[in-house]
Amino acid sequence: MHLELVSFPVTHVGAGPATCWREGRLEVDVDDLRRAVAHPGVEALEVHLVNPGDEVRLIHVLDAIEPRVKVAGGASAFPGFTGPPRTAGEGVTHRLAGAAVILCAEVTGSQDGLSVKEAIVDNTGPAAAYSPFSATHNVVLVFHFRPGLTLPEQLAATRIVGVRAAEYLAEPVRRLPGPTREVFDLDGRSADGSRPRVVYVSPLMHEGAVHNTYLYGVRVSTTPTLFHPNEMLDGAVVSADYHIAAYRSTTFHYQNNALIRELYRRHGKDLDLVGVIVCQCLVVSPLEKERSAFQVAKLARMLGADGAVLSMQNGGHGWADLMLLCQRLEQAGVKTVLVMAEMADADGTDVGLLLHVPEADAIVSVGNMDEEVTLPAVPRVIGGTQFLDMNNYEGEVGARPWEAFRTALRRLHCACNQLGHGRLVARAC
Amino acid sequence: MERRLRVVHYLNQFFAGVGGEARAGHGVSATPGPVGPGVLLQQLLGPGADVVLTVFCGDNYFAEHPEEALRELLRLIRDARPDVLVAGPAFNAGRYGLACALVCQRAQDQLRVPAVTALHPENPGFEVCRRVIPVVPAPAQATGLVETMRPLARLVLKLGRGEPLGPPEEDGYAPRGRRRNQLHARMGAERAVEMLLDKLAGRPVTSEVPIPDFGPIVPAPPLADLRGAKLAMVTTGGVVPRGNPDGIESRRATRWGKYSIAGLDTLDSEKWTCVHGGFDNQFVNDTPLRQLPLDVLRDLEREGVIGGVHEFFYSTVGAGAPVARARAFGREIAADLKKAGVQAVLLTST
Repeated sequence: MHLELVSFPVTHVGAGPATCWREGRLEVDVDDLRRAVAHPGVEALEVHLVNPGDEVRLIHVLDAIEPRVKVAGGASAFPGFTGPPRTAGEGVTHRLAGAAVILCAEVTGSQDGLSVKEAIVDNTGPAAAYSPFSATHNVVLVFHFRPGLTLPEQLAATRIVGVRAAEYLAEPVRRLPGPTREVFDLDGRSADGSRPRVVYVSPLMHEGAVHNTYLYGVRVSTTPTLFHPNEMLDGAVVSADYHIAAYRSTTFHYQNNALIRELYRRHGKDLDLVGVIVCQCLVVSPLEKERSAFQVAKLARMLGADGAVLSMQNGGHGWADLMLLCQRLEQAGVKTVLVMAEMADADGTDVGLLLHVPEADAIVSVGNMDEEVTLPAVPRVIGGTQFLDMNNYEGEVGARPWEAFRTALRRLHCACNQLGHGRLVARAC
Repeated sequence: MERRLRVVHYLNQFFAGVGGEARAGHGVSATPGPVGPGVLLQQLLGPGADVVLTVFCGDNYFAEHPEEALRELLRLIRDARPDVLVAGPAFNAGRYGLACALVCQRAQDQLRVPAVTALHPENPGFEVCRRVIPVVPAPAQATGLVETMRPLARLVLKLGRGEPLGPPEEDGYAPRGRRRNQLHARMGAERAVEMLLDKLAGRPVTSEVPIPDFGPIVPAPPLADLRGAKLAMVTTGGVVPRGNPDGIESRRATRWGKYSIAGLDTLDSEKWTCVHGGFDNQFVNDTPLRQLPLDVLRDLEREGVIGGVHEFFYSTVGAGAPVARARAFGREIAADLKKAGVQAVLLTST
């Protein structure tokens, strides 16, 4: 598979009479965008154009998506959502690099015992460093739903509107020559096996309506699947993770999967990337857990993998599956490195892992999500006027969202992303 | 030009040059400028900081009158308006080390003066203070003074300037048992691939998340015969009487509850509820017996398989529990069970 990803850098987003991209400036015809993504479940759609440095706090953040358009070798940028589930990762895709569609909605209530959790992006100030979306040029969509929509229906509406908006915004660059072009291809593997063969294992979440991951429009299943790395980079994975904010991986994170990019960067030089194994990172019964872990290890062996990078979504119970995956991979002779967040309490004195196996001897920390930060007052809030109910999690956020308040990182969107997208690390001190 | 930092140095009577064991009863005193090992400290600090005062005290005086000694020392320290307090190095000298630990702790707590000391890891003062202040691990004997004083001086400068400390191995202090978030120079993904390449090549790998050491947990020996045993139910699944009378939190619970089931054969969903914040409660709320199988235990009791069911069950919420708190709950509940003559526990989770 051969994917060309052509980047059109965005250095500013603003309103304009017609949606277009010109020398880094993304202009958005807001009314036209609204028309293009109109959805029967959405009564009103606020559109806010936010650049880095704008003093604004986003609340009720759901997903973030990079604007893209499929130019050749496929039908759409989000197969299974905006087109048929044709295999992604081939041909040519154009992207607005440095831009993001951010979806915000106040979704209350619960489904399957889970509620949508508050997720905050501070665009400036001390908390800006925790979110990748303080550095992107954002088209923020705030949803107001038609009354009577159920919680899953509301979330489904945001997803389809989000991917349509991402395609709409990138459509103007479809026929333009791109300034930079990256090629992703697994050719160039060493014939003599002189370089270590590495597989990327990507457990994805499926836990009720508010915590899901879609592969080609269908929820991830308990049977592990082999993916080409290009598929994930090219829109095959759409996030539906509205659970604990700090852990989240957005659709943007899969489109720009930092582990795949880093493995590609060293592919053919220091290692041979052999594939991606996608599995479910929280399966319910011991039988399913073992079955999943053994199947992942089997696929890794069939790929001839010497080593595996193992990422994660969410935490808590899912970490049991993560440790089991690590154990089964290591027992199959596949040396494994894990990427995971820690829960070490606000003062960093607790044990950061819920459980541990001896094989998990190489773990990359993406930070302690219990650590607290103070967010300053801001002149402007987008997304809502009051914080979501926190479902009795510690440290109720009682403040009005434009005021200063203290919170654990858990409420900061993608602060401890377990795809290794950020630079946060917890260290002994 | 940057303001020169003011440093106060604490010593015992020996290092202050007063005398040996014969003068260990010497009271609290102070002298301007550096004394004894303070002279080396001043050299290492360089022009950025001045040891403005040396405070000292006899080992026995401190050991016999710790509160008085601390009060006098803190008054002297406060009056000198220091940016940093340094104590020792006390190596493996027990009385001196404990005094260093307590003076530092008190100065940091009460005067808000950052403090630092250097102690041998077996010094009784080491465990007293290493979680609250940076402690440079020192050799047992004073022969390693220069090697100890160098990181100590570096820490004095960092603390005085309010700079965040680097990791323990870089800045030369003993881990304080805490973890703090920092921004790494490289993304997690880059570090992960690098770590994997090291692991594959057989190069040494340092995990960024330490392998937890929960210590040994020795299970009680199995019961030879259940027929005489009183059995109790304990759960981390958060089943409580409706209304949650003890206010057990849904996550990171700070308390546990003890509820009577005397005379009950079943747990009615009208009377019992689940407050656990980490799983879908509806199934337990429909039938609390799914969490606490009282009906089955009553059958076993009637059939004579077990001696009896303890008249209380114990409940807390396990979600997000810090290990130290879980351990404390375990000890407290176990003590209560022992007192009640319980021999066996059915421990249910979620």
